[in-house]
Amino acid sequence: MSHQLGSLVSEILNRHFGEIVQKVGDDLFSFGARPVAAIAKTTEIPRIKVVESLRTLLKYDLVTFEPSKNEVVADYKIVPDNILLLMRYPRYLLQIKSKHGSEAEMIVEEVLQRGCVTATNLLVTLARKYKDDREKNISIVSLKDMFISLATAGYLQQAAVAEVKEGEGGEVPTMVAVATIVPELDARTLVLAMNEGAEVTDNIYWKVNFDRFHQDFRDEIMIDAMTRRIDENAGELMRHLLMQVYLNTPPWAASSTPVPALQLKESARRGATERPLLAQFVDHYLRVMEENGCGFVRRSGDASGGQFVVQMQRAAKETVYALLEHTVNERLGSNAARIFRLIRDKKYIEEEDIRKHAMVPNKECKELTYKLMEHHFISVQPMRKAASGGGLVKAIYLYYINLHETAHTARELCYRACHNGLRRAAAARRAHARLLDKQRRVRSVVHSMRVREDPQQHIARVEETITPPERQLIQSVEKQLKQLSTAEIELDKALFILHWYFMYKDN
Amino acid sequence: MATVKEEDSITEKILAIAKKNPKGISDKDISAAFPELSPADRVTAINALLQQGSFDLYNQGGALIYRLKAASSKQAVKGADNEEKVVYNLIEEAENKGIWIRDIRRRSNLAMTQLNKVLKSLESKKLIKAVKCVNASKKKVYMLYNLEPDRSISGGAWYQDQEFESEFVDILNRQCLRFLQQRADKIKNNPRGPIFGRTQSYATAAEVQKYIADLGISKITLDVEDVITILNTLVYDGKAESSVYPDGSRVYRAIESLIPAPGLVQVPCGVCPLVYNCCPTGLVNPQDCSYMTEWLE
Repeated sequence: MSHQLGSLVSEILNRHFGEIVQKVGDDLFSFGARPVAAIAKTTEIPRIKVVESLRTLLKYDLVTFEPSKNEVVADYKIVPDNILLLMRYPRYLLQIKSKHGSEAEMIVEEVLQRGCVTATNLLVTLARKYKDDREKNISIVSLKDMFISLATAGYLQQAAVAEVKEGEGGEVPTMVAVATIVPELDARTLVLAMNEGAEVTDNIYWKVNFDRFHQDFRDEIMIDAMTRRIDENAGELMRHLLMQVYLNTPPWAASSTPVPALQLKESARRGATERPLLAQFVDHYLRVMEENGCGFVRRSGDASGGQFVVQMQRAAKETVYALLEHTVNERLGSNAARIFRLIRDKKYIEEEDIRKHAMVPNKECKELTYKLMEHHFISVQPMRKAASGGGLVKAIYLYYINLHETAHTARELCYRACHNGLRRAAAARRAHARLLDKQRRVRSVVHSMRVREDPQQHIARVEETITPPERQLIQSVEKQLKQLSTAEIELDKALFILHWYFMYKDN
Repeated sequence: MATVKEEDSITEKILAIAKKNPKGISDKDISAAFPELSPADRVTAINALLQQGSFDLYNQGGALIYRLKAASSKQAVKGADNEEKVVYNLIEEAENKGIWIRDIRRRSNLAMTQLNKVLKSLESKKLIKAVKCVNASKKKVYMLYNLEPDRSISGGAWYQDQEFESEFVDILNRQCLRFLQQRADKIKNNPRGPIFGRTQSYATAAEVQKYIADLGISKITLDVEDVITILNTLVYDGKAESSVYPDGSRVYRAIESLIPAPGLVQVPCGVCPLVYNCCPTGLVNPQDCSYMTEWLE
């Protein structure tokens, strides 16, 4: 809950929900949990608007509430982590599209946009929206099937249900999480609802299960790492391994339950046509992964042809180290990165020994070590000898890496970079607001003219209202905005790795 | 001429016997080894040797014992006074590690001015030399003229005149990496399995050393030890990993980082030196940051 995080959260809220919600968010961030009246007082926003913004925030799970002390009013509390997820939405869509196709993408997009929604409502809206779209050829039945498979795979989950505790006199409900039960939707009622607008009673609300997506992202990081370190076959084997882990281990356990090698061989054999080498050398690959795979995989026993454990926590740590090494390398140069790795390798090391091993000139070596200190990438532990008269006793200074702190530094840096990017994008939008607005208007006019099938001449005349210099400017602004949003997604990836690391408390 | 040669051969023979018996030899030993040598010749030979300073003469239980002096100290004795001898011996003891002037003074109990004079005279005779220590640039150590300074003093192959040659190290570092990278791909999709591929992608330090020697980029010959130091810097660069063969030799393999360059270093803020001074308001701000403008163009 740093200042940096606060300004990033504020910037994200502004971007997605506008100024009023931003103000409410800022207020909640700086004061912690508080009731509506207090928010209205400090922000000087009319109460009704505060309530409206809170409603919006609640809908997307960006704010939680709980009864305050007197149990009559509710205290609202902001959830910064969920707000950061707003940056990840494009990635969720891309992920689901590449895994389950464009229909799944549509469903997830709609759920993301609405916050939470009932199944029938969702499917009917979607089907109506794409009714006239011949190209996509979407029927409500296929959408229903996709919805069910997404719910089964855990990408969608049931939203928490509000419950009022009886007998305690409180009026503030508490949100109770519900176990997801995959629904059985009747295709006929859906079709009826779509065509005739028949009422369907459905009070089970659904929302997107971000956690499931995050598991996918994590798995991808690990598979990619194995592919980079060894080869594609090792990556594929890691995929098989993680598939088994998904089935038998709680999602974020520090290390998985053992997976027998026999099962892996079985699944490798099934993919033998694509990857004949893997099917042939499963044992060899497992051994190489165990020995050269940064400790992602560990052999835990010899039963049933060998048991293998995926060490998630270790993997998170290694990945964060890789991230930090990249960061040090780019910020302070490759020699600093060498010193950083050296310190990591030796755990605790004296300045003199750093110079000896790093093979960097004396002066530069000292300077870089101190710079690393200054940027909080490394820490120092003085070892003083017990007081023994005379000032001649020299203290020994040992350098080491406190990964937790260093990761924190990197996270703050990410927040800062994200915030700056968003800020820059907002500034660019503001500066060219008139132009962008004009372009939007022209586009909508042209679109409606096309629909009406107006002659091409007329359309061209409308399009010409944007002069060539204007067009050029728009193009360059759009390019900038695009680059900034790509950067945002990339930064979010880095944040995800750091978040993954911080998930394990006892690091 | 003939007699001179004969005498030389006699003295050489006596020296050879003396070398075999470091505790010293007596007249009897010599006559036992050289029955053909006449006592007169023996005396002249031994006298000559004593004059050269090759022998020390001792009286042991009534018998005279000749003991061979250490080869080098005989030079110092020539025309040197007592102080010089003491200082010389101290320096000699220190071998190729060298000895610091303060230590000489403490152990010889000589005054600073006198010691300086002695050292100067020894230096001018080319008996000793002063070597700068790489660890502490101001510290000078003395050692015998003909010795090669120890690694801890000279810094080994990486130092030229006590200056660290970072360019040389960089070049070697790059060449080693190139060598390892040539093999690194062998692990990928190796038709004989990954373990075989891994073995092929490994390189021992000796192999790398041979490659470097064949390239001829180094004027001095590098030991395997030196190459290991370079290879270790590659490991610390994150560009290689090392492992140990069953026979104990270290092997190295080029690797890639676990993740591609993260977003943090792709944006200007991640590498910006001013990022900690940056604020939405103020002179340094993201809205009109020139680094960002450059990056966006």
